[in-house]
Amino acid sequence: MGSIKKDFWRKSTVAVVGGGSWGTVLAQIVAEHCAEVRLWVREEERAREINATKSNVDYVPDLHLRSNIKALSDGERIFEQKPQLIIWALPSDVSREWAIKLAPFINGDEFIIHATKGIEPTSFKRMSEVLSEELPCRRIGVISGPNLALEIARSEPAAAVVASNFEEVREAGKYLFTNPAFGIQTSEDVIGVEWAGTLKNILAIAAGIVEGRKLGWNTRSLLLTLGLGEMVRLGQMLGAKPETFFGLAGVGDVLATSSSDLSRNFRVGLRIAQGEPLLKVLEQLGSTAEGVRTARLVAQFAKVNQVFMPVTQAISDILSLSESESADSQKLVQAIDRLFTEPLGWLS
Amino acid sequence: MNESHPVIRFESVPIVEGSLHRLEEFRPQLLESVTAETVRELSVLSPSLASQAAQNPYEGLLGEALFSEKQRLRREKPTVFTKNRYKNDKLLWSQVQAALLKSPVERDRGEIMSRVLSHYAEEIGGHFDARIYRLATKMVPWTFSWLLNAASVKRVLPWGMTQSLSSRLRIVGEVPHLQNLSKKGTILLVPTHQSNIDSPLVGYVIYLMSLPPFAYGAGLNLFSNPLLSFFMSGLGSYTVDRKKTSAIYKQVLKNYSVQILERGIHSIFFPGGGRSRSGAIEQKLKLGLMGTALEAQLQNLKQGKPNPNVYVVPMVTSYHSVLEAGSLIDDFLLESGKSRYLSYGDDSWHLQSVLRFFWKFFSSSSGVTVRIGRPMDVFGNLVDENGRSIGPNGTCIDPKAWLTSGGELAPEKQRDQEYTRELGKSLVERFHADNTVLTSHAVAFVLFEALRKLYPDYDLYRFLRMSGSQRVVTLDRFLVEAAKVHSRLRELADRGKVFLSKEFYTTKSEDWVEDGIRHLGLWHDSAVIRKADRAVWSDDLSLLYYYRNRLSGYGLSELLPKERGTSRGIDKKGFLA
Repeated sequence: MGSIKKDFWRKSTVAVVGGGSWGTVLAQIVAEHCAEVRLWVREEERAREINATKSNVDYVPDLHLRSNIKALSDGERIFEQKPQLIIWALPSDVSREWAIKLAPFINGDEFIIHATKGIEPTSFKRMSEVLSEELPCRRIGVISGPNLALEIARSEPAAAVVASNFEEVREAGKYLFTNPAFGIQTSEDVIGVEWAGTLKNILAIAAGIVEGRKLGWNTRSLLLTLGLGEMVRLGQMLGAKPETFFGLAGVGDVLATSSSDLSRNFRVGLRIAQGEPLLKVLEQLGSTAEGVRTARLVAQFAKVNQVFMPVTQAISDILSLSESESADSQKLVQAIDRLFTEPLGWLS
Repeated sequence: MNESHPVIRFESVPIVEGSLHRLEEFRPQLLESVTAETVRELSVLSPSLASQAAQNPYEGLLGEALFSEKQRLRREKPTVFTKNRYKNDKLLWSQVQAALLKSPVERDRGEIMSRVLSHYAEEIGGHFDARIYRLATKMVPWTFSWLLNAASVKRVLPWGMTQSLSSRLRIVGEVPHLQNLSKKGTILLVPTHQSNIDSPLVGYVIYLMSLPPFAYGAGLNLFSNPLLSFFMSGLGSYTVDRKKTSAIYKQVLKNYSVQILERGIHSIFFPGGGRSRSGAIEQKLKLGLMGTALEAQLQNLKQGKPNPNVYVVPMVTSYHSVLEAGSLIDDFLLESGKSRYLSYGDDSWHLQSVLRFFWKFFSSSSGVTVRIGRPMDVFGNLVDENGRSIGPNGTCIDPKAWLTSGGELAPEKQRDQEYTRELGKSLVERFHADNTVLTSHAVAFVLFEALRKLYPDYDLYRFLRMSGSQRVVTLDRFLVEAAKVHSRLRELADRGKVFLSKEFYTTKSEDWVEDGIRHLGLWHDSAVIRKADRAVWSDDLSLLYYYRNRLSGYGLSELLPKERGTSRGIDKKGFLA
C-alpha cells in the first residue's frame, strides 16, 4: 500500500494534457478529488471559451465543467503549480512531439497516467515508453477500458483499469478516478493494458464494417472472437499477460467500441463499408481514429514476425484499398467479402 | 605494448587515500549504527514471521534464525582456521536457545536480538590496514611479472624482466569518467563474475586506475585460507556468509553495505551473486544488494550531504579462458538438467591444475581485457561528466524528484524496488554492450552452432552426449559459418551492442579463427576445440558450451526460435538462446 495520504491529493493540482473528449471527462472526474485541474488545449481561443462557458463544446457539449477546472494553452502555466499528477490525453502520433516541448516544465516527481490508446507510428513504441524517453519522469501509468467518453460524461456506470509498475501510481489512479459512477481496477501489466487498448481499435473498425454491410451479430461475434485471439497472441509475444486481454481493458473495451457508433474507429469501418472513401471519412471525423494507423502497423509487424493475425491483415488491406481505389471498386468489395468469408476456412 | 587507456600507467602508481583509510577510526560507530538501524527496521517491518508471535515481533525472527543457524552448525565441519569462529557461533546460539526457552519477562527479547545483531555486525564488518594495502599493490604486479617472465623467457629472477603486466592486461573504457565521478560521489563498481581470479584482479585494476581502495563483500569460505584471509581482512573486505540464511543476517548485511556507501566508501558488488555457471554474461542480478545503492543515496539526500550521489559503474572482464570453467558448467548443467546430466566432479582447484593453468596463461600471449562501462545512476540512467543523470533522450533528471512521493523525500518500498529492478535491467544491457568479444569465444560459438545445425533435433543433453565422430565439422563448413558470425558480430559492434577485440578487424576469417583456436585449444586438459586435417572438432562439448555461452543473449544464433520475442533465456531444447 502506497503511503501517500488522500489529503495530499485534496491539496494538489492535476494537469491534463489534451482537451479532447476523454481528456475533458477525466479532468472532470479528478477535479472532484483535488484542489485544481489545469486542462491544456492547443488554441488559446478554445481555452478562453472553455473557461467562459464552463464547457468543452466541440467535444463534450453537455458536460458542465467543475469550477476548479481551468483551461490554458500555455504549456508553462499548466505546470506552474507543480502538479503531482499529469494526465496525458493526446493522440499517439503527436505525443512525442509534445512531450519534447513540455519536458522543460516538468519536475520529475510527478506521476503520469496516460489515456492514449495507440502506439507510436514510426517506432512501434507504447505510449509509456515514448513518455519515459522524453519526460524526466519514471512513474508512469495508463488508464484504459470500456470508456466511451460521452457515456461517462452522462455519469452512466462504468469502470477502467489503471496499470503501472509503481504501486503509488496505481493507488493514485484508483483514488483520483473513482466516483460513484466510475470504478477503477488496478493492474501491474502495463504492456498488456496498453496493447489491449491499441489493438481493440482494429476490431472496432472490423465491427463497423460488419454494421456497414448490414450483417448481424453472428458475423460480428465471429470476427471479434478471432480478433481477440490475435490480440492475445501478439500481446504474449510482446510480454503482456494473456489474462489482461480478458479483462476490462481487453474484452471490455472490444465490446464497447465494436458495438457503438460513439466509437470513432467503428464509424470509420461503418462508412468505408458503405462505400465512402477513407480520406473523406477521416476528414469529416474531425478527431483521431487510432485504429486506422494501428491496423497497418500491426499487420506489417505481424507479417515480419510471423504472428498469425488474419483479421488485422484483412482490415489493413481494406483500409489501403479504400484509400487508393474508388469506393465502388470491385477490389474493395472483394476484400470486404474476404474478411467475412475467409475466417470460415481458418476454423478446423 | 600497452593497449590500455592512456591514463593507465603500469609503473609507479601512487596509492590514493580514500574513506576506507579511515575505517578503523569509525568502525565501532559504524557497527553500532548498523545494529541500531537493523533493530529499527526489524521492529517497524515486522515481516510475516513476526506476526506469528504478535506479542513480540522479535520472537518469530529469533526463532527462525536459531533454527537455520543450528542446522548450519550441524552441517558445517570446522577446519583449523575456522574453528574459533565456529566455537563462538555455537556458544552464541546455545545461549540464545536457552534464553528463548525462558519467558519474555525473564529474558527480554530486545536484548537477545541486540546481541545477535552485534555478533553478526562484528563478523561482517571489515578492517583496513594501509600497510597491507601497500604490500598487496606491490605484490600483485611483482608476482604477475615474475610468472610472466618465468614462463615466457624462462627466467626466474626478478631482475632483468622483459615482459610486463601491461602487455597482458588491457584496461579500457570509461576510465577518466570513473576517476572523475569518484570525486563527485560514491562509486559502486559492479563487475561481471567468471572466475575466482576476478576478486584480486578487480582490486588491482582499481589501484591501477589511481582510485582509492574499494570495500567489497568476500565469501566467508575465502577467509579459511590463511594467506587470503590475511590480505582480505586488511583490505576493507567485509564478510559475506552465504550459508547464513536468516532474515536477520541478511538485514545486517544489507545495512552494512548501505552504511559504508553512505560514508562515501566506494564499494564493489558482483551483482550476479556468484560466478557465472553457464559462462554467459549475467542476465539475472541480485537486486537486494543492488538496492543498497538507492537506499544510501536517499539517506544522503535526506541528510543534505554535499556529495550524495551513488554511481553504479559496470565493469566487464573478458578472459580467453577460465580456470574453473569445467566445474562451473558442470554445476550449471546439473542444476538445469537435474537427472538428465551426469556430472564428472570438480578437480579444477587442485594445486596441479591451478599451476598448469597459470603456466599456460603466462607462457601464451593471452591477455585479459577489462572494460569500464558507462556510469549510471541508481535508477539505471546514464550519468554525464558532471555527475548529472541523463534520461534516454538527453533530458536532465533530478534524482531527488524521483525519490519524492507525496511531497516527501522518503523511502517507499515498492517504488524503490521497482527503480532497482530497472537499474538491474539497464545493467544487464550494459554488461552485454560493454563486453569485449575475444576470438576464443567466437570460435567456440561457431563450432557449437555448426554442430547444432548438423543435429537440429537434439536437445541440449543429447547433444552433449554425442559420440566423438559426431563432434566434427569440416574446416570449409566451419569457415563459412565463421564468416557469417563474423559479419553479425561486426554489425552488432557497429550498432554499439558489443565490443570486438582487434583481431576481428580483418577481412579474412582464417586469421581470427586461427587466433581463437590457438587460445582456446591450449587451456584445458581436454581440447575444447582442435583443428587438423581440414576438420575442426571438440573433445569436450560441455566446455565448448561454456565458452559458446559467452555470446548468448545477443540473438546471434541462427537456430533461435522465431516465435519468441526475446533473445535471452533458455529455448525449448534447453540451449541458452
